[in-house]
Amino acid sequence: MFRELIGGLRITMRNMLSKPVTIQYPEEQRPVPPRARGRHILHRYDNGLEKCIGCELCAGACPVGCIYVLAAANDPAHPVSPGERYAARYEINLVRCIYCGYCAEACPTEAITLGPRLDLADYKRERLVATKEDLLESWPGFRPTAAAPGRPDPAPRSELAAPSPTAPVARSATDTA
Amino acid sequence: MTAEVQPGPQPVTLTVDGRAVAVEPGTLVWDACEKAGVFVPVYCAHRKMEPVAVCRMCLVEIGTMPKLQPACATVVQEGMEVRTQTDRVRRFREGNMEFLLVNHPLDCPVCDRGGECDLQDFAQRYGPPRSRVPITGKVHFDKARALSDKITLDQERCILCWRCVRYCDEITGDRSIVLQERAVHTVIDTFEGRPLTGEFQGNLPEVCPVGALTHTAYRFRARPWDLQRTVSICPGCSYGCTLGVDSRDDEVVRFVSQDNPEVDDSWLCDRGRYSFPELNRSDRIRAAELRLEGPLRQVPALEATAAAARALALVVEQSGPGAVAVLGTPAMTNEEAFALQWLARGVIGTPHLDHQLAEWPGLDPVEFRLAVADLERCDTVLVLGERPELATPVLSLRLYKAERKRGREVRRVAADPDPAELARTVRDRQLVGVVAHEGDRDAALRVAAALAPVNREVRRLTLTEGMNGRGCKDLGLLPDLGPGYVAAPAAGMGGRAILGAAAAGRLRALVVVGPNPELEADPAFEAACQRVALLVGVTTVPGVLSRHAHALIPGRTAVEKAGTVTSSEGRVQPVRVALQPRFGTPPPELRLLVEIGRELGGRWTGEPRATPTFAAIEAALPAYRGTRGGLRAAWPQWERPA
Ligand code: SF4
Ligand code: SF4
Ligand code: SF4
Ligand code: SF4
Ligand code: FES
Repeated sequence: MFRELIGGLRITMRNMLSKPVTIQYPEEQRPVPPRARGRHILHRYDNGLEKCIGCELCAGACPVGCIYVLAAANDPAHPVSPGERYAARYEINLVRCIYCGYCAEACPTEAITLGPRLDLADYKRERLVATKEDLLESWPGFRPTAAAPGRPDPAPRSELAAPSPTAPVARSATDTA
Repeated sequence: MTAEVQPGPQPVTLTVDGRAVAVEPGTLVWDACEKAGVFVPVYCAHRKMEPVAVCRMCLVEIGTMPKLQPACATVVQEGMEVRTQTDRVRRFREGNMEFLLVNHPLDCPVCDRGGECDLQDFAQRYGPPRSRVPITGKVHFDKARALSDKITLDQERCILCWRCVRYCDEITGDRSIVLQERAVHTVIDTFEGRPLTGEFQGNLPEVCPVGALTHTAYRFRARPWDLQRTVSICPGCSYGCTLGVDSRDDEVVRFVSQDNPEVDDSWLCDRGRYSFPELNRSDRIRAAELRLEGPLRQVPALEATAAAARALALVVEQSGPGAVAVLGTPAMTNEEAFALQWLARGVIGTPHLDHQLAEWPGLDPVEFRLAVADLERCDTVLVLGERPELATPVLSLRLYKAERKRGREVRRVAADPDPAELARTVRDRQLVGVVAHEGDRDAALRVAAALAPVNREVRRLTLTEGMNGRGCKDLGLLPDLGPGYVAAPAAGMGGRAILGAAAAGRLRALVVVGPNPELEADPAFEAACQRVALLVGVTTVPGVLSRHAHALIPGRTAVEKAGTVTSSEGRVQPVRVALQPRFGTPPPELRLLVEIGRELGGRWTGEPRATPTFAAIEAALPAYRGTRGGLRAAWPQWERPA
């Protein structure tokens, strides 16, 4: 009987002395595996043009139908993307999305990928429908790094100011930098 | 190759992939395959055009013939053995697909046809798994070239099937699209580079099997998987073409043709096809407004109908029912016309009722005897003036078909020709068709009377204005006739006279159901609106009526309501709800009219919905019995000697 008691207490003692698994989220964050499928990012070419051509193939491939694309014709003098067509509106319902990655698979220009952002909670449902501005890489000079472990998010965009400092969910792609 | 075609109905039997089928002599192998349930891919073949066999996509093995034969141009023969699934056929299809894609830009993602393209589909189904041709070094041509304000051509995507060229040659006859240059440089272009001007350009993107010819108005608007299609009737005119209403996000983004061989023969005119932006107007009337009983205020639609009914009751009480006049519109459905007729004659009790400004005393269904499909069977067709083809443009294509494919004589004569002269030149014929606009009905009557004695039969087709001008007449929205062209109990004033009397102060109340472009454009209407003590208006489109109405009640557009409309030839066809009602969509006009009538003490049995109302129409009008699915109403008056 004593042997069992000692055995149990040994496990307790070992865990008391080991490093805790708990981290101080959100001030601290766990490293995200390199191929994790988090919130989407819409990419740009080096010259700043959007890669997305508004073809709606992602919307067609999406098994839950959470992508909405409205295309328009490019103005040749001020093109948004190379070629004739671009996405005038691009929205993803992040709550409905199942993060399967089919959209990235379908995209002919590799415009959309699933990024490392996994913390998608918010206080307002509407803010979980990401618009093109939210998803697009900023420019110039922006390069998304892989996961940014252990760093808190920068301040949220002013117009989307989070209701409490403990929920710093910014929705611009810049916040992964 | 041609076959000996035996005369007579003796069917030809052949086998397709081992399945036996019997078809009429003269049938093409392609059609026989379809009858046997075997799919043969085609690009250049088109059901409405002659075969040319240029694309070689439909090659099949036939009997012991050494070479593969084009199914789209080979006529069946007794005992033929057709094989479509052999290795040789498969190899040829693969090779053909590879050739078609040699210079194709492969820009499906930005192409409007992507998702409903035969080139995509067949490349996937019959093409080789990979191409041996590099993507670079292709021959390039013009992209996004405007052929007119309606059509955009991408020359690179063209697979040179000639369908557009043949369409302009065989269907419209304007020969505006041609092939230019030779060999690998061959492109499609307009004749001498002139912009397209025809009235039927919108059919070009539909005959094109790929994304070369596209609608400028639909450019980048949607993908097929975004669209919801509802089959309905074109609101453009009274010809009654069937069309598919494609909508996305509560907006109509395009009209597509649907083949109805009896009416449109799968073509639409540009006026009808590109009329859809009118249905998406952001300023359409949604809120009811009352200027009665105090200052202007917005109220729910059914509150406005009640207030309108109270005001109407007051006018009738003070000045009698004769002080009220009711004007409909040729755009309303049969059910609405029936309810309006009930409201005017049955409830208010006024004889002053019409649906258009011009008056046609003593209308008779004999004037609408000739069916449009029968134009191909008439030996001679007389078209009076230009107005018939202006009112219903697709008629021109039917006339051209009668002339070119059936060898009939189509004569375009003056709007008011000399009947004696015509009787001299048109004689000893079997069947003569007289086609006239309703405005020329007197001339058509004279011509028919002069020709009748020297011909077996003379039939007339009168083309009415507005989507349902014919139905409004059938259902008695006329000053002198009730439903079924029977004399009304008391003859009242027609449209023009009503406006005159109202402007002169002889009418106190006017009930106007719109939208009626003819009224809106007429200065007499504004004068009448300003003078009457009570103007009740039901409409969707802002204008004179909505500005002046004391009770303005919003209605539904042509794609938001259900019902039936009758085409000029008397075909009763269903219109369906393409844009589902959502929050803020007003109730349908039928309901509004019935509510006004009920409020005034009228009895309307059954629910104010389209289906029970059509049953009431069938009971009141025996000619309409069983016609709802798109049949022509047959009138007892037809049997009477002319
Ligand atoms: S990840 Fe999957 S569910 Fe989410 S948007 Fe892409 S395709 Fe749709
Ligand atoms: S993200 Fe890719 S697949 Fe989606 S619309 Fe843009 S280009 Fe097309
Ligand atoms: S434009 Fe279209 S219809 Fe005309 S030849 Fe080319 S592929 Fe055929
Ligand atoms: S025509 Fe068809 S195959 Fe060609 S780009 Fe358009 S969709 Fe793709
Ligand atoms: S479809 Fe037969 S050759 Fe083109």
